[in-house]
Amino acid sequence: MNRLSQLPTLKIDTTQKLAFTYKEKTYFGAKGDTIASALFANGVRIFGRSLKYHRPRGLYSLDGECSNTCMEVDGVPNVRCENTSLEDGMIIKEQNVKGSAEYDMMGFLDKMDWAMPAGFYYNVMHKPAKIWPLAMKQIRKAAGLGKIAPDHEIPGKYDEIFLNTDVCVIGGGPAGMTAALAAAQKGLRVILMESRPWLGGCFEYRSREYQSRQTLHDRAVQLAKEVEKTENIRLFTHTSAVGTYNNNLVTGFQIGKKEDIFDQRYVEIRANSVISAAGAIERPLLFDNNERPGVMQAACALRLAKTYGQLPGKKAVFSVGHDFGLEAAIELHDLGLAIACVTDIREDGQNLELVKKIRNRKIPLLKGWVATKAHGMKTVKKISISTLDGQISKTFACDVIVASAGFTPVTGHITVNQGTLKYDSHTGAFLPDQMPEKMHAAGRVLGLEDPKSIEVSGKLAGLKAAFDCENCSIQELGDAKKELEALPGPARGSKLVTAPVKGRKTFICFDEDATIKNIKQAIEKGFDVPELIKRFTATGLGPGQGGIPGHNLPLFVAKYQALPDISIRPTNVRPPLVPTLIATYAGANHKMFKTTPMDEMQRKDGGIFRNIGVWQRARYFSNDFSSRKEIENVRNNVGMLDASTLGKFRIHGPDALKALQRVFVSDMSRVKQGRVKYSAMCNDDGCVIDDGVVIKQGENDYYFTTSTGRAGQTIEWIRYHTRYDGWDFALVNLTDSMGVINLSGPNARKVMEKVVDIDISNEGFGFAEYKTFNIADTIPVRAMRLGFVGELSYELHVPASYMKAVWIMLKDAGKEFNIRNFGVEAQNVLRMEKCHIILGQESEQRTNLLDVGLGFLWDRSKADAKTVGAVALRQAENDQTRFKLVGFKMENNGRAPRDGALVVDDKVRGYIATARDSFSLNEAVGMALVEAPLSKIGTRLEIFEDECGDDRIYGKVVAMPFYDPEGNRMKM
Amino acid sequence: MALTITCPICGKRNGYEFRFGGEEKGPRPEEKDLTPQAWCDYVHMNKCVAGVQEEWWFHKDGCGSWFKILRDTTTNLEQAAGEAAK
Repeated sequence: MNRLSQLPTLKIDTTQKLAFTYKEKTYFGAKGDTIASALFANGVRIFGRSLKYHRPRGLYSLDGECSNTCMEVDGVPNVRCENTSLEDGMIIKEQNVKGSAEYDMMGFLDKMDWAMPAGFYYNVMHKPAKIWPLAMKQIRKAAGLGKIAPDHEIPGKYDEIFLNTDVCVIGGGPAGMTAALAAAQKGLRVILMESRPWLGGCFEYRSREYQSRQTLHDRAVQLAKEVEKTENIRLFTHTSAVGTYNNNLVTGFQIGKKEDIFDQRYVEIRANSVISAAGAIERPLLFDNNERPGVMQAACALRLAKTYGQLPGKKAVFSVGHDFGLEAAIELHDLGLAIACVTDIREDGQNLELVKKIRNRKIPLLKGWVATKAHGMKTVKKISISTLDGQISKTFACDVIVASAGFTPVTGHITVNQGTLKYDSHTGAFLPDQMPEKMHAAGRVLGLEDPKSIEVSGKLAGLKAAFDCENCSIQELGDAKKELEALPGPARGSKLVTAPVKGRKTFICFDEDATIKNIKQAIEKGFDVPELIKRFTATGLGPGQGGIPGHNLPLFVAKYQALPDISIRPTNVRPPLVPTLIATYAGANHKMFKTTPMDEMQRKDGGIFRNIGVWQRARYFSNDFSSRKEIENVRNNVGMLDASTLGKFRIHGPDALKALQRVFVSDMSRVKQGRVKYSAMCNDDGCVIDDGVVIKQGENDYYFTTSTGRAGQTIEWIRYHTRYDGWDFALVNLTDSMGVINLSGPNARKVMEKVVDIDISNEGFGFAEYKTFNIADTIPVRAMRLGFVGELSYELHVPASYMKAVWIMLKDAGKEFNIRNFGVEAQNVLRMEKCHIILGQESEQRTNLLDVGLGFLWDRSKADAKTVGAVALRQAENDQTRFKLVGFKMENNGRAPRDGALVVDDKVRGYIATARDSFSLNEAVGMALVEAPLSKIGTRLEIFEDECGDDRIYGKVVAMPFYDPEGNRMKM
Repeated sequence: MALTITCPICGKRNGYEFRFGGEEKGPRPEEKDLTPQAWCDYVHMNKCVAGVQEEWWFHKDGCGSWFKILRDTTTNLEQAAGEAAK
């Protein structure tokens, strides 16, 4: 590995070697290398093959502007190797090849381009119709870049951070840094985001003079030091801004350093003012084979040498359209690159000093010439150049072609936030026209190339941001504006898009293999605007997000259609502006679940927990997932369940009853003190959304429960439906501060007797009654007699902090009866045998109160329009097309179908809500929602399970409930 | 979420903290002479204004109140009540 050393701009440390595997061989890179620069240093020129034609592709940019160097790294496909740091032990593979990148068996496709015109997948291979299924298989096999297993779990640690700031600066180049410093000096909090791992932008790698005895590189270092020591600038390097939104929200993602706790982090910043100083990328020059390995951008060639210490090749030809290209040629020549020729698209207008320097180095400079074709089967061997009119041509042998037509300001951050661009005929670029509110552009985004102008535009933008934050005077703004006006404005840019070529192998978009010919085909087909052509030819839809074709496409289309300048419109870009891992958006994988006060104790007792809604609940207490022992114990003895996840609320105040009347379907004025009232809530469509019990604690003071899943929305719901009334009531969510123990089974009373002092005989504390008392004179308990599981049962509502104590007391008291825990699954079966419904299980979004047989809860004397859901219930009452909830048994003592299985005849007629093999009844029973005509008792139900083929199982509609139809057991 | 919403109690906060409650349509219709059509329109029909709209929001991760704001649906920016009147 021969690297240039002694350059002040180098970012690599050749004394520290990193080993990596590529094609099963070990190679070495230097610390500070990216994967792409390390491969290049090891002689790799062909990184992969292109999407459609399998053309060889090589290093073209160094900032991931195209998919040329996307590779599979450690099993993750499509890693952008140009800006992914090399790490010790990485395993790197090429992608989209059959064989290897050098010898790709699919390479013949390059000659088949006639068979794949623009949009071929829309308009060929569908006649005759028989062909399509065959063709589709082949196309699908060939399509896409990289392969990933469906169950692949992406390695790494991901995090997220949400920040507020006064000013957010996108881009850590000279403009971004001066902007950040200007705003920081005004006392504002500033966040500076830079996508490279270091500050400096376009100054960082250049040796051109900034002012006497200071190079641009020196200046970049000086500014970076100043930024780093400014306390109110928070610096995010290696952080790409991927989206900007209104109200000045900026999103991005950060690549972690070794010492960071994350590999990638999602960054979301809310700023008062945003500065876009994202710089510019190069506009590709279009000529034949303009993407052959060996062709690269000017900055790529220069940075390869100055940042990564390697010359791009042995002998180069330059075909450029700007002074920066000339500058790069001079620098690379001085570093040892032989240059056969420099051609400049511009006939005149070059910086005279640069021209002189080139002449002094005896490099032939041809003005008004352009590259027309790169020769070489796999990598560049030779170049043809010609005059702009194509009349005179020459060839040179070379292995590097540095090609760049102009600059493209990076304006994505402005346009995704609804800012507009305008074609500027002086620079030939799309420059910001109307900026979004409180967003300012600076530096090369404005088309500026002069170093001092770039910096002063940054300062001006920083002051404008300070002005937004009311920390800057108009006077200061005016001074900065004058300072900028005195400096050189944007440089005149070349407008040339294509060399004089036919364009069959002239690639406007590398990612999607779209050629100039494809664009012409699309226009001929009638797609007349760039936005449509982009879609039809897929130009710019690849991972580079239009970085390569975004500027050339509208210019070319305008030229082809002979449109005037003003009608040239850029295509839209969308966030994420830079490819981002979904894992990064997902952030850290926090366990976001609530636990009940009994969590620990139930785990000790062998509870097997499942995530149910927002909670973690004990679903089973043994590895027998039918929960047989738990169920039989409740039916024959006594069991206890932690029901703390129930929603629990208090509503009180002068208008509390009115609020309850609004949302509950029953007449809540009839709730008697000391009695439990079961009721339900509907939405305005009459669909049942919640059920629970209500208790009257005093005048206009109620306590009520909701189902576990609805607890989070209950307050919102009640407040919403009373928002116009101005009623005076308070709602308190007691869900987390109260726990619930359900003690159920024939022996429940015997256990209770040992723990409480009150009379709990059936006469003293009957079914559906409610009592408050203290246990051990201390613990306040609300107790209800309910029958959800169909047995004698007490539901004790206990303050969360006392839950453990009461739980232990009941457990101790129950020891002599062999009391045991039961879990959510046992409860599910027990209540199903009683046909007590669980909303969400026996209902879905369209199921109304009447469908599930709870119509008796609805009080028809209440004013319909004043009770949520009543109007719709009235209309649905006689509707025979609705589903009905029915009970069923399986024929011939068959097994229970799976929950969610379909009820069918020649079409779908309903579905199974819950069904289990019942131990209490010794047969399989369940509930199903079926069309009304199937709901008659005795109807045969044909049940279709997933993947059952033609094998159906059959059930029969029976009366509900299945267990203890008279309800004697829960009332005993 | 780029949206910010100004809660009358908590002030300007991130849009994440709120839940949308639909367009402002006035209180529930009176029971008298209520037709199914009128009811259906009240519940389901929306104006879907492209421009400034009066709408309800709930501060779910905050004070828990329902309130109305004026929002320009084309820009997703809030407007002060005075501004809209102009």
